Amino acid sequence: MILSLLKRNLRVYFRDRATVFFSMLGVIIIIGLYLMFLGVSIAGFGAAAGENARFMMDSWIMGGVIAAASITTAMGAFGTMVDDTQKKIIRDFEASPVRRWQLVLAYVLSSIIIGIIMTVFTFLLAEVYILINGGALVSLWSLIKLLGLVILSVSASSALVFFVTTFLKTANAFSTVSTILGTIVGFLTGAYIPIGLLPDPVQAVIRIFPVSHSAVLFRKIMIAEAVDLDLIGAGVRTDLGIDFAYGTTIMPVWGHILILLATAVVFFGLSVVVIANRKHKK
Amino acid sequence: MDKIIEVRGLSKSYGTVQAVKNIDFYVETGKLFAFLGPNGAGKTTTINIICTLLDQDKGDVVLDGCALGRDNQKIRDRIGIVFQESVLDPLLTVKENLLTRGSIYGLSAKVVEANAAKAMKVTMIEDLALRRYGTLSGGQRRRTDIARALIHRPKILFLDEPTTGLDPQTRKSVWNMIEELRREEGMTIFLTTHYMEEAEKADYVIVIDDGEIAARGTPAELKDKYSTDALEIKPIDRSKALNTLKDAGIACSEQADLILVTLSSTVDALPILALLEGNIASFQVLNGTMDDAFIGITGKEIRA
Repeated sequence: MILSLLKRNLRVYFRDRATVFFSMLGVIIIIGLYLMFLGVSIAGFGAAAGENARFMMDSWIMGGVIAAASITTAMGAFGTMVDDTQKKIIRDFEASPVRRWQLVLAYVLSSIIIGIIMTVFTFLLAEVYILINGGALVSLWSLIKLLGLVILSVSASSALVFFVTTFLKTANAFSTVSTILGTIVGFLTGAYIPIGLLPDPVQAVIRIFPVSHSAVLFRKIMIAEAVDLDLIGAGVRTDLGIDFAYGTTIMPVWGHILILLATAVVFFGLSVVVIANRKHKK
Repeated sequence: MDKIIEVRGLSKSYGTVQAVKNIDFYVETGKLFAFLGPNGAGKTTTINIICTLLDQDKGDVVLDGCALGRDNQKIRDRIGIVFQESVLDPLLTVKENLLTRGSIYGLSAKVVEANAAKAMKVTMIEDLALRRYGTLSGGQRRRTDIARALIHRPKILFLDEPTTGLDPQTRKSVWNMIEELRREEGMTIFLTTHYMEEAEKADYVIVIDDGEIAARGTPAELKDKYSTDALEIKPIDRSKALNTLKDAGIACSEQADLILVTLSSTVDALPILALLEGNIASFQVLNGTMDDAFIGITGKEIRA
């Protein structure tokens, strides 16, 4: 039954071209801004990579783009759930032998699957972009790590947006929140402006958002393809959000992974509590 | 006589508003059962409760031997519902809609496929199979909705105002299909409507108003009991006719150039006609309609 619902949710999502486009809007905005002027203003950061400077900075922006895609596409996928509720389509499922938890699980799994598909798609486009500009494709081992990270990042993002979506009753509210997310996601991932250039309180806020941690990890893997990370100065690394420094301590890779895992667990947990406590029959 | 649905002491309130007030009724197997009432009378609330979509405050419902509240999963297997608003996915084709909704009943893909083919045949939408649901006309959608409700071969089909919003011709064809389903498939059909002419075609009608059962019976019984027949006369000499009736002590009313006499049965028209003989341009004897019955029962015209 869950499988049938999954198939249906995926179909409903992918058949609506506008939904697909809008869940990628945040990503498109970041790339557009980068192509138009961000690229020029931050080119200096790539000095450490020498002739690979372009490759390095392309990898940097794409790291942020992929992290952004993981949350906006996971959110877009929940549009089906909100729509179903608002249009009362959900009653058709509720009056069938599908259990409520199966229904909810199907929405969450579709969000994760859609998020993974769309994020991997974004990654492929990013690789094409990097390749066209004289960079190289990632190595096999990096590819495997990146795929693992995509799954982790999408799961954490999906949990987070699922929690937010449980409070959204109408398609209107949902699209408003999606638009806001699409607009600020460039900041949250430190893609519009290198995170180190922002004031400290803003940096602190950004670090609260789990997606900024997946951006750090994406950058670490992708930039390492262009230049040995040790060759980049510590200051530049924190400025670009390749490292998150707390005082003088640099957060280790497992720290980021732990934050993403914890986000997934905590927010899925919270969402379940919210849904279970809600009288589903009004 | 087999009762497939039995409802006892059903009540439901929304806040301080009592939508359904302690109602009892039953539905016989294989019959076409109509719930007639104005909007807001409690029809949809009652259907939603029976269909496990809404918890009742009080009362028991037994559906095909399954108790509501305890055997909800079993009940869901046995019912097909056509909702007032469409619940199918506009971007999926008719066939995709039927197959996805069919596959949530735990039936094998093969069975679902066969059921979908059958449902499309019965509802005559086979040529629409590959069309997207969102591109269909109102009548085509309604047929598809009904096909969806039939996909798991339920024992009881619920239709909540199935013809509301359709043009008269489409309404008629959808209605014919419903009657055919009952005849050919022997399916029990439970529908709500606020159209008199539809209630008239049911085997049994319950008139619900303001959350209470105002009357029940076959359409003929309801008409007999709650509506009156009338004699409509177009006189040659109007004042003379009125005087004749007045002298005979027969109450009458005037409508345009007609004189109306209320009758308790159609044969009562004969002596009146005899009385006025020679002064009648034309006349007709009118049988009571469900409309009259409804007004007789609820004291109000139907609010559409």
